[in-house]
Amino acid sequence: MLVGELLASSLRMAVPILLTALGAVFTERSGVVNIGLEGMMIVGSFWGALGAYYYGPYFGLIIAMAAGMFMALIHAINTVTFRVDQVVSGVAINILAYGSTRFLSLAIFNMATTSPHVSGLPKINIPVLSGIEPLKPLVNDISPVIILALLLVPISSFVIHRTVFGLRLRSVGENPLAADTLGINVFKMKYAGVLLSGIFAGLSGAYLALEHTGMYVEGMTQGQGFIALAAMIFGNWEPKGALWASLLFGFSEALSFRVVEGGVVPYQFIKMIPYVLTLLVLTGVVKKSTGPAASGVPYERGLK
Amino acid sequence: MEKAVVLKGITKRFPGIVANDRIDLEVEKGEIHAIVGENGAGKSTLMKILAGIYQPDEGEIYIFGKREKINSPGRAIELKIGMVHQHFMLVDRFTVLENIILGAEKSSGIALDEKRCRKAVEELLALYNFSLNLDARVEEISVGQAQRVEILKVLYRGADILVLDEPTAVLAPQEVRELFNNLRRLKSEGKTIIFISHKLEEVLEIADRITVLRRGKVEGTAIPSQVTKEDLARMMVGKPVMMRFDKEPLDVGEVLLSIEDLVVKESSGRPLVNGVSLKIRGGEIYGIAGIEGNGQKELAEAIIGLRTASAGRIRICGRDIADLSIKEIRDLGVAFIPEDRHRQGLVLPMKVWENMMLGYHTKKDFLKGRSLNLKAIRGFTKNKVEEYGVRLSSIEQPIEGLSGGNQQKVILGRELSRGPKVIVASQPTRGLDVGAAEFVHKELLKMRKKGSAILFISADLEEVLSISDRVGVIYNGKITAEFRPEEVTPEDIGVYMLGGEKGAGEAK
Amino acid sequence: MKKGFYIALLRILAPVLAIVLSALISSIVILSIGKSPLQVFYTMFKFSLSRMDSVAIILYNATPLIFSGLAVSVGFRMGLFNIGVEGQYLIGAFFAALAGFSIKGLPAAIHLPLVILCGAVGGMLWAFIPIFLKVKRGVHEVISTIMLNYISYSLIHYLIADLFIDRSQKLIQGLGSILARTPKLSPSAMMPKLHGFLGLFGLQLPRHVYLNWFFPLGILTAALIYYLLMYTPFGFELRAVGQNREAARTAGISPERVYIIGFLLSGALAGLVGLSDLLSYFGYMDMDFPRNYGFDGIAVALIAQNNPFGIIFSAILFGFLKRGAEGIQTLLGVPRETISILQALMIMSIVVITKIMNDYIKRLEKKEEVRLCS
Repeated sequence: MLVGELLASSLRMAVPILLTALGAVFTERSGVVNIGLEGMMIVGSFWGALGAYYYGPYFGLIIAMAAGMFMALIHAINTVTFRVDQVVSGVAINILAYGSTRFLSLAIFNMATTSPHVSGLPKINIPVLSGIEPLKPLVNDISPVIILALLLVPISSFVIHRTVFGLRLRSVGENPLAADTLGINVFKMKYAGVLLSGIFAGLSGAYLALEHTGMYVEGMTQGQGFIALAAMIFGNWEPKGALWASLLFGFSEALSFRVVEGGVVPYQFIKMIPYVLTLLVLTGVVKKSTGPAASGVPYERGLK
Repeated sequence: MEKAVVLKGITKRFPGIVANDRIDLEVEKGEIHAIVGENGAGKSTLMKILAGIYQPDEGEIYIFGKREKINSPGRAIELKIGMVHQHFMLVDRFTVLENIILGAEKSSGIALDEKRCRKAVEELLALYNFSLNLDARVEEISVGQAQRVEILKVLYRGADILVLDEPTAVLAPQEVRELFNNLRRLKSEGKTIIFISHKLEEVLEIADRITVLRRGKVEGTAIPSQVTKEDLARMMVGKPVMMRFDKEPLDVGEVLLSIEDLVVKESSGRPLVNGVSLKIRGGEIYGIAGIEGNGQKELAEAIIGLRTASAGRIRICGRDIADLSIKEIRDLGVAFIPEDRHRQGLVLPMKVWENMMLGYHTKKDFLKGRSLNLKAIRGFTKNKVEEYGVRLSSIEQPIEGLSGGNQQKVILGRELSRGPKVIVASQPTRGLDVGAAEFVHKELLKMRKKGSAILFISADLEEVLSISDRVGVIYNGKITAEFRPEEVTPEDIGVYMLGGEKGAGEAK
Repeated sequence: MKKGFYIALLRILAPVLAIVLSALISSIVILSIGKSPLQVFYTMFKFSLSRMDSVAIILYNATPLIFSGLAVSVGFRMGLFNIGVEGQYLIGAFFAALAGFSIKGLPAAIHLPLVILCGAVGGMLWAFIPIFLKVKRGVHEVISTIMLNYISYSLIHYLIADLFIDRSQKLIQGLGSILARTPKLSPSAMMPKLHGFLGLFGLQLPRHVYLNWFFPLGILTAALIYYLLMYTPFGFELRAVGQNREAARTAGISPERVYIIGFLLSGALAGLVGLSDLLSYFGYMDMDFPRNYGFDGIAVALIAQNNPFGIIFSAILFGFLKRGAEGIQTLLGVPRETISILQALMIMSIVVITKIMNDYIKRLEKKEEVRLCS
C-alpha cells in the first residue's frame, strides 16, 4: 500500500511542475524563453485563491489562467514586440508577480502572505478502476485537475505535432525568417506560444492554492516554475518527456517527505532535494539535448 | 504579350544608401528574365521588394497588369509570386514535406491532413519530374536537393512568377545543368521566371532577356543573342573588368605553413576536411579554389586553432600546433582574416580603436604596466586609419557604423601590421565593392613581398587564379588537384571543383 | 560633435524616462486602493529627504545595493546573467560571520579585513559551482544559480539554526527554545560607522543610523571595477566576450577562462553585499537577515546600464525608494509593496526604453557615417 500512496503523492507533487512544463514546451517551441513562469504560477496561485474565495473553485481556475495569461502578455510585449532580453524580462515578471500579489493580498485580504481558506474542486473517483485494491490511492479521491493535467499531455503532443498550428509554432521557433517568408505571422505565433505558457502556469498555480494547500500562501510555488523549465529541457521539449521528468521531480519530493518522517537527515537538506536534483538533471542532460534552433533569439523583420 | 511584372520608379533607401534608385522593369509572362549586377548593385533589395519583405519608398508595382501593394510575404504569395532565396529559407529539422507545405497546409479541422498534403506534393514532383525524398530531414539532404525543395515550396503555393536569387552560387555544375533543365520545364508550363545572378555565362545561356543593374539603377536591358559577355560586363562594372596584378615573380623562402593529411570532423563524426596536405613557403600565395562548403572554412579554422584536427598535422614555422591554444598559435605569427567579419572578426558594438587591438591587446607596445596603454592604441589606430584610408567620423565610433569595406580595412590593419609569418585569408573580399576588394588584394601582395606565407581562400575562381602562385582545388574536404595558374584555364579547374576525376586535365 | 552630445543625452534620458513611466503606472496602482498618487510621492520625498538622518539611512540602504549591482553588472558585461547574487551574498555573509565569531583576540586592523575577505571568498565559492557547470557541462547559469539560491536558503538555515547556533543564549521565556542565530561577532570584526568622520565636518548623525565605511568602500569598489573594465586587458577581454564571444575566441581570448574569472569576481562582489548589514547593524546572522538584495541588484544594474558609476546612483535611488516605502506605509497606510511593483515596472520600462533608444541611436550613427563617406 505504501508504494501506491507514494506514487499517488508523487503524482500530486508532479502536477504543478507538469502543467508549467507543458506551458514551457509551447513557449520554447515558439522560440521564446520564459523564465517568468515562476511569477505566472505565483499570480495563478493568488488569483486562483481570490477567485475561489469569492465565486467558487471553477471561477478560481479560470481567473488564475487569465492572470497567468496577463503576465504572459506583458512578457510577450516585452520580448516579441520590443525584442528585449527574454531572461531579463522574465526576471522582471517574477519580481512584478511577487510584489503585486503581496500588495493585492494586503489590499484585499488584509494579510500580506496568506489568503483565507478556500475550497477546491470536488474530488472524484475514477469509475471501474477505483475498485481495484492496489490502485486505490491513485484513483480514489483525487483532484480533477490531476486528470486534466494528464489529459493535457497527449493533447499538447497532438497540437504540437499533428496540427497546422503546431507545425507553424515549431517553424517559428526553428527558423522565424523562413516562416515569415511563407506568410506565417511570426509575431502572432510567438504571442500564442507565450500566452499558452502563461495559461498553463496560471492553472498550475491555481492547482497549488486550491487543490493542494487549500489557500494561497506567499512563496508557495517554491521555485517550481524554474524546476518546470528544467523538466521541460530534461523532457527534450516534448510533452511526454515533460511528463516523465515531472514525475521524477514529484517522486523526489514525495520521497523526501517520507525521509523527513524518518528524521535522520536534517530537514533543511531534505528541502534541497528538488533543487539539487534539478542541477544534477541539467548537468547530466544538457549537452546531449538541443532545443529549438532560434530559441531565445528575438526576431526582427528585415534584419540581415 | 502580357506583362507579368511591371515596376515603375521603384526607390528604396536604407540609412545612408539608396539601394534602388528609380528602377523601371518589365517582365513578360512566360519568359526567363535575368537581372545581373555586381554585389551591392541592388538586385537582392529589388527582389525582396517583390517578395514583400521590404516596402519601396517610392514607385509602383503592377502584377499581371494590376497595380498592387506587396506589403507582406503573405501578400506576395497571394499574388502568385514565389521567392527562391539565395540563402535557403528552410527549417533544417523539419522534413522535406513539412517544409514544402508549411504555411499552406491542407487540414481537416485543426488537424494537419498529411495524406492530402503528400498527395499534392507528389503530383507536383511528377509534373516537373523532380526527385526528392519527402520524409528526409532537410539537414540531411544536399544543397541541390534543398534548392529543389525551395522551388517546390513556391510551386506548391501556385506561384506563377518565380524569383530565384543567385540560384547557382551554391551549386556544382551538374546541379546547375539540372536546375536549368528544370527552369526550362517550368517555362514551358507557362511560368514566369526572374533569375538573379552575377554569372554572365549562365545568364547568357538561360535567359530570354537580361536587365543590368549598377549602383541601384537600371543600366539597360539586353537580349542574349545580341550581346557578348564583355558588353554585359562593361554595363555591370562601368569599366572593363581587369584583374591583373603587378605580381612580380619572387624567390620563395622556407616552408612556413605545412599541413599533412589533415582531417577535421564535425561533431557528428562526418569529416569536413578529409586528408588535406599542402605546404606554403614564405613569399607565396596559395589559393584554394572550390565551391563553398567543401571544407574551406574548416581548413582555415583548423590552422588558427578554432577547430581541432582529428588526424594529421599542422606546422607553423616547423612547430606542431596540435596542443597550442589559439593565442599561442597567433603568437607564432599567424594572422587570420575570417570569412565572416561580423561573427568572427569584429566586436560590432565596440569602438574602432578597441577593435584595432582585439587579439593584440596584450602586446607589449599596447600595455603600460599591467594596464592598457590607451594612448598608444589610439595612436596606432589613427595611423592605420590614415594609412589605409578608412572612412569614419571618429575612431571612438562603434565599428558597426562603418561600411563593409572599411571594416575589412580595420581587420587588415590589425592583422597585417605585425609582420605575420602566415596569413590565412578566408574569403577576404566577400561582399566588398570593387575598390575595397582591390585594396585587399594589394595589401596581400605587399605581404607576399615581405615574405609571408599566404593561404587565400575564395569562391571566386577568377580572383583565386589571378592572385595566387599556386592553386589547389578543394572538393569534399580533399585537395583534388594542384596547379600553377598560368598552366590552366578556369574551365579546367571547374572540372575539379565539381568533383571531376584526376586524369584528363591534370597539369602536374 | 553636436550629434555626439545628442546621443549622450539620449543615453542619460533613457533611465529618467523609465522612472517617470513606471511612476505613472504605479500611480494607477495607488489610485486603485483609493489613495492619491501625488500625496504618496510627495510623502516619499518629504519623509526621506527633509532630514539629515533620513538621507544617511538612504545611503545605508544603498550600500549593499552598490555591491550587488556591481556583481550583477560584471556578469552582464560578459554576457552572463548572475541571478545567483542572492545566494552568493548569503553564503558570503555567513563566511564573514563565521570568521567574525569564531576568531577571537585579533586586532581590528587584521580581523576586519580578514572578515571582509572571508565574505568575498564565500561568495566566490558559491559562484564557482554554476560557472563550473556552465563551462564544463553547458548548464545555463540562470537556472543553476536560481537553484543554488534555493539551496543556499536551506543551507544557511541549517548552518545558523543547527550547526552554528549560538548555544550561549539564555532561554527566552515562553518560547521553549533558543533563537536560531549565530553567536555574536567579536567587536574587532565590526565595521565602524561614519559618524566620527562626518562629525569632523560638523554633521551629527543620531545613533539609530548605521551608515558605515562600507558606503565609501562601495564607491571605491565601483571605481576599481570601472578601471578594470575600461583600462585593463582583462576588462577588455571580458567586454569582448560579452559582446561577441566568437570574435573574442577567434582573437585568441578564451571565453571559458574569462567566464570563470569574471564570474568568480562577480561572486566575490556578491560576497560583500551583506556585510554592511552584518558588520554594523546585526553583529550576528539570524533568520531575519535581509533577503532580496541579489534581485534588487539586477534592477540596479539594469537601470545603470551596467555602468559602475551609474550603479552608485541607481543604488541610491533604490535606497531612497526603500526609505520612502517606510514613509508611505507609516504615514499614509499605503502598503510598502507598492514600491516593489514600482521597481519591477522600472526594470521592464528601462529595458524596453533603452532597447528602443539604442536602435534609434544606431540608426543615427549609421546615417552620420554614410554622410561622411559619400
